[in-house]
Amino acid sequence: MVDYTLLKQYFFQLEDALKHKIALKLTPRRKFIYEIARIGIRIFDKNWSNGWTTVFVPYEILNSMNVSGMFVEFFGAMLSGAGLSRKYFELAESKGYSTDSCSYHRTIIGAAMDGLIPEPDVLIGASIPCNGGVKALKRIGEIFNKDVFILNIPIEVTSKSIDYLVDQYQQMIDYIEENTGRKLDYHKLKQSIKFNNQAREYLVEVNNLCKNVPSPSISNDLKNFIMYILLLGTKEGVEVAKNYRDEFQYRIDNKFFGLPEEKYRLLWIQNRIQFKTDLINTLEDRFGANVVIDELNHIWWDELDESDPLRSLAYRMMTHPLVGPVERRLKVLTQLAKEYRVNGAINPAHWGCRQSGGARVLFKEALQKVGVPLIHLDVDCVDERNYSHGQILTRLEAFMEMLTASNF
Amino acid sequence: MVVKGIKSSKKPMMGWVCTYTPLELIYAAGFQPYRIFGHSNPVKNADSYIHPNYCQFVKSTIDVAVEDGYNFLEGVTFVNSCDAMRRLHDVWKEYVPTKFIYILDIPMGYSSLGLKYIRTEFEKFKIALENYTSNVIQEEVLEDAIDVFIESRSLFHSVNTLRFKNPPLIIGSEIMEITSEFFKSDPKIWNEQIKEKLTISGRNTTRSDIINKPRLILSGSPIHDVNFISFIEDCGFNVVYEDLCTGSKFFDIKINKSNDLLSVLGEAYLNRVPCARMMKIKDRAKNILNISKKYDANGIIHHSLKFCDTYLYDVPRLKELLIEKDLNVLFLESDGSLGSLNQLKTRIEAFLEIIKSQMR
Repeated sequence: MVDYTLLKQYFFQLEDALKHKIALKLTPRRKFIYEIARIGIRIFDKNWSNGWTTVFVPYEILNSMNVSGMFVEFFGAMLSGAGLSRKYFELAESKGYSTDSCSYHRTIIGAAMDGLIPEPDVLIGASIPCNGGVKALKRIGEIFNKDVFILNIPIEVTSKSIDYLVDQYQQMIDYIEENTGRKLDYHKLKQSIKFNNQAREYLVEVNNLCKNVPSPSISNDLKNFIMYILLLGTKEGVEVAKNYRDEFQYRIDNKFFGLPEEKYRLLWIQNRIQFKTDLINTLEDRFGANVVIDELNHIWWDELDESDPLRSLAYRMMTHPLVGPVERRLKVLTQLAKEYRVNGAINPAHWGCRQSGGARVLFKEALQKVGVPLIHLDVDCVDERNYSHGQILTRLEAFMEMLTASNF
Repeated sequence: MVVKGIKSSKKPMMGWVCTYTPLELIYAAGFQPYRIFGHSNPVKNADSYIHPNYCQFVKSTIDVAVEDGYNFLEGVTFVNSCDAMRRLHDVWKEYVPTKFIYILDIPMGYSSLGLKYIRTEFEKFKIALENYTSNVIQEEVLEDAIDVFIESRSLFHSVNTLRFKNPPLIIGSEIMEITSEFFKSDPKIWNEQIKEKLTISGRNTTRSDIINKPRLILSGSPIHDVNFISFIEDCGFNVVYEDLCTGSKFFDIKINKSNDLLSVLGEAYLNRVPCARMMKIKDRAKNILNISKKYDANGIIHHSLKFCDTYLYDVPRLKELLIEKDLNVLFLESDGSLGSLNQLKTRIEAFLEIIKSQMR
């Protein structure tokens, strides 16, 4: 019998700590992390089935079937943030997993080997943002002797390709029913589309408020906000989004800005660095530089059609900026750079990220065209074993000095 | 039996990079398909265009392309094969002026939905080719093209049967020369030349250097350079089958003809012997086991290109699956450049010794 004490403790303690903090003072960040902790606790709730997934799958459908979806990259980030990933890297590597592979995925494979994570009832992998994620999920499935349901996300939007994804969603529902005995509650799904639309409106407002100069947010207010996708389509998700909107509006109304001496506004590409570093503090304290927008926090989709949930969700997925050729993503990056009036962009260029690394030169050139310089940090965002703080700091300092000298 | 100096037709050339590309459509549209390989030397310029942690195939292809090494190509057809191939498409599109660039979206795995989808993808590709050439691809032209490639595969299999014998009547490096010629030739001309060679029958193995060598299957990431095979053979093996999309496996595709030719092609390509990107590791292992029996192999070398997630993620599990079947397997990883080969020599020779000791 595998004991998941460590994981259980982590989520229960996190929830408990946040509950107490919220009792003292409610902040949107606290509320957000509190709700994520509650999703972590759901893993141990018998009323829910467990689904291990890659990052972009339709959680609204899973939630409407009482399946608690959890993307594997979340765990990679969490273990790194908690300083616990080394053991799992070493375990995965001892079995032959390459150190050049994505460390988000390598950590969770090691964790699954070590019995840290409970057995999934279903495993669902989507072909975006990367094929590596699906491969990692396949290996995790094999540890539990289970196969993975693969969603092939078409790279071009046509009525036939939307039909194809809708049909795959239908098959995914059948697969979940077969493996968990849980039926899709269509009423609940429609309700989740309603929540999704409400939350979306708040989130668009949140982002629009961050376009204010100076921004009402500081760099870490919306750090790792990609986790929010686990809350999409839930009442709690609406509450979190509203809290952020209210807070940022309050800050602007009262001229209480994230970084009062905001000198530089930055765009962060893809994921943050997950282990503990003081890079963000350095940017803020020494240079007055504020990350005002993370690429992955962009709300790219329009309001969903409540009368046709599956089609709406399919369309949303297919229009994600990370689907297919990089053109769509470049367009979004330059749009964000302009709308948020950023002075520079940071790309951690996560080692092992094959879907993103190949576009690094294209990112740089696209942003240069709109007058925004970019720095690639060339860092592994999860595996700190090769992290050279001094080297990265020097590069970041040089970048900031360049911005200063150029009067950006 | 090396086929050299094959003349190409005067047709415009269409580059392609992945074995899930329906060459029949390209040929029927009036192009000569040309397989893009990059090179096997140290990479020079690619790091200025793409992250250094990409496989040799992608980086060396960019190397050649940005120096106009592929400027004889009228167009290039990419496939959404893996993360790296998608980015290869993007970099090429940005930096290599090419008249026709297309990316095919091929699903991972097999399913009835996938079959339907691949047909629509092939139909879109056909229309794109027709629009570019301003010529409609007639059914009979497509059928003829399908027949040409059926004949190529059949001829290749005839040649490959020469490897059933022990010692093989043709060695791996010779086969790789033949496949390499196919990838850059007009298939009709290639077919004729192979037929001519096959009629010169009665081939005898008189080469003492290949007698008593253990028989080996080479599996894994794409390898295109015949020197790689020669190197393994020089280490003391006879390579009897390449489970590579650049070797014998490329020709393992079955066409079941029916009225709807696009469905015929869709079914054939989706169900071909799977590459690691299809996420069917048990089928890969089963196929390796089957060919191991069919070609009476003594061992398998599985080679992964450095940074090739598609194959590297399969290694730990594939190792278990193959060892369960009592197969002798050596897993290697290299950057794929010829310069890296000597580093592998000791391991290959140690593997050879193990196999030889079992044969005694």
